[in-house]
Amino acid sequence: MDLDNLAMDLEEINHVYKENPLDYFKNKKLCLFKACLEKFFPGVRWGIEDLLLALELDVTTCKSQSCCSGTFFQRNLITRAQFAAINERNLNEIDHQADILLFPCNGCYNSLLRGRDILKDEGVREKTQEILKGLESKAIGESYPGKYKILNNPKLRLIHDLDFLFLIKDEVVKSLKYDLKSLKVAVHYGCHYLNLARDKKNAIDYVKNKNKLEDLVTLFGGLPVDYKEKESCCGWGASQIVLHPKEALKITLNKLKSAENVGADFLLTPCPTCLYTLSKPEYIEKIKKYFGEKIEIPTIHLNELIAILRGCEEERCITLRRKTPRLEEIYDIITRDS
Amino acid sequence: MEEKIDSDSDWNYNFYQDLIDDINENRNLIQCISCGRCTGDCPAAKISNFNPRKIVERVLKGDKCVLRDSDIWYCFLCERCKRVCPKDKINIPLLIINLRNESFKKGFGPRYTDLRKYVEMAERFLTNGTVLETPLGEPLPEERVDELNEICNFARIKYVFKASKIKEKKQKK
Repeated sequence: MDLDNLAMDLEEINHVYKENPLDYFKNKKLCLFKACLEKFFPGVRWGIEDLLLALELDVTTCKSQSCCSGTFFQRNLITRAQFAAINERNLNEIDHQADILLFPCNGCYNSLLRGRDILKDEGVREKTQEILKGLESKAIGESYPGKYKILNNPKLRLIHDLDFLFLIKDEVVKSLKYDLKSLKVAVHYGCHYLNLARDKKNAIDYVKNKNKLEDLVTLFGGLPVDYKEKESCCGWGASQIVLHPKEALKITLNKLKSAENVGADFLLTPCPTCLYTLSKPEYIEKIKKYFGEKIEIPTIHLNELIAILRGCEEERCITLRRKTPRLEEIYDIITRDS
Repeated sequence: MEEKIDSDSDWNYNFYQDLIDDINENRNLIQCISCGRCTGDCPAAKISNFNPRKIVERVLKGDKCVLRDSDIWYCFLCERCKRVCPKDKINIPLLIINLRNESFKKGFGPRYTDLRKYVEMAERFLTNGTVLETPLGEPLPEERVDELNEICNFARIKYVFKASKIKEKKQKK
């Protein structure tokens, strides 16, 4: 059974479609994975969906997709085989309707890749297959060939929104109405993008992919700034912020303070979970209460930023409920006609 | 001062063997050279007593008390340790999941009713297929939710879910 990594081979696309990598995506069916935290930040979904439609790409979502269940796996509430079965169910449904699956969230992306990786263990693979077979025997829902099997050599390929946007960066830049007006941007990749399993025997592979956000910021006319806590966690830490808030918020504070100290205007992240942690008003209040520090630096998701730069309606880019005077100011600076 | 050197009797691999019977990949822990890079880069180590280097050492010495310690519940599962480890195949986050599993089995883990946030999320996941209060866009068809329930049979998520129902009944009384 071919259980190769389902992550898209970016190098190959860059090599074969060097004139314009967007050509690879034309005439292909794209599906957007629904991340739970998009609910709080509709601009995360809308930002990428609107861009894809403007680029005349075929884009949908999958109505049979469930949550990635990574949060339950991380708290030991489901077994590895159950986690893998939930993933395979989602992958089967999406493989049935699309060629490419895009992720706006590090957690979901990591969950689906990890679910697939877990299946390399023969014992887990057998248990997962058994669980899926159980579904088939109960004949729940509409069936089609292969629905209840572990996907064998599927056509479906997975790609993180950041990797996708970087791949088609020239087209993204062409679509922008505004630029970043030399604003200083502190980038935050998020642990589950930064620490994704890498091939340690391949030095180039091990160190690559760490400049995509900085490169995009530069292309958008901003100034990426380096800061001490750039690679540190946002503080979410697989729900540590809920279970041990005082300790976890110390990590959040260190991160935000470190970015403020170098004069960054805002933080940019490709993950809605990090965005939630770094910008939730309740957490900012708690930081003030626990540590006596007032934090003002806002955080923006990459998809939201692209929507702002493309001149989309403010309401669609950034939800009102998280608006702060600093965020408002940045929005005004970017959208001011120069 | 004379440095204490571990003797052979300090090491007992029974516990390690039990763990790898559950998750074979953790076999690679034996390669640990105790360099401490995992701990130096660990966010949880900055704010708690969580110390992955020591946890690996305790596992390899057969110290099952590690299952009672609250430390293992502080791990962020950020996978930074896995990335910075100079060894190729040591997966500490997987070891933590392995240890938490054993801890749950022995009754040392958090009580289900203490996992309030998870009670709500588990309930939503098993009734709507999403952890959200209201689904994003179209709700997941009922038969698909049934599939998720079937997949999660006998999982702790179901007990967490049941615990919420028992609590609800008690509150109504």
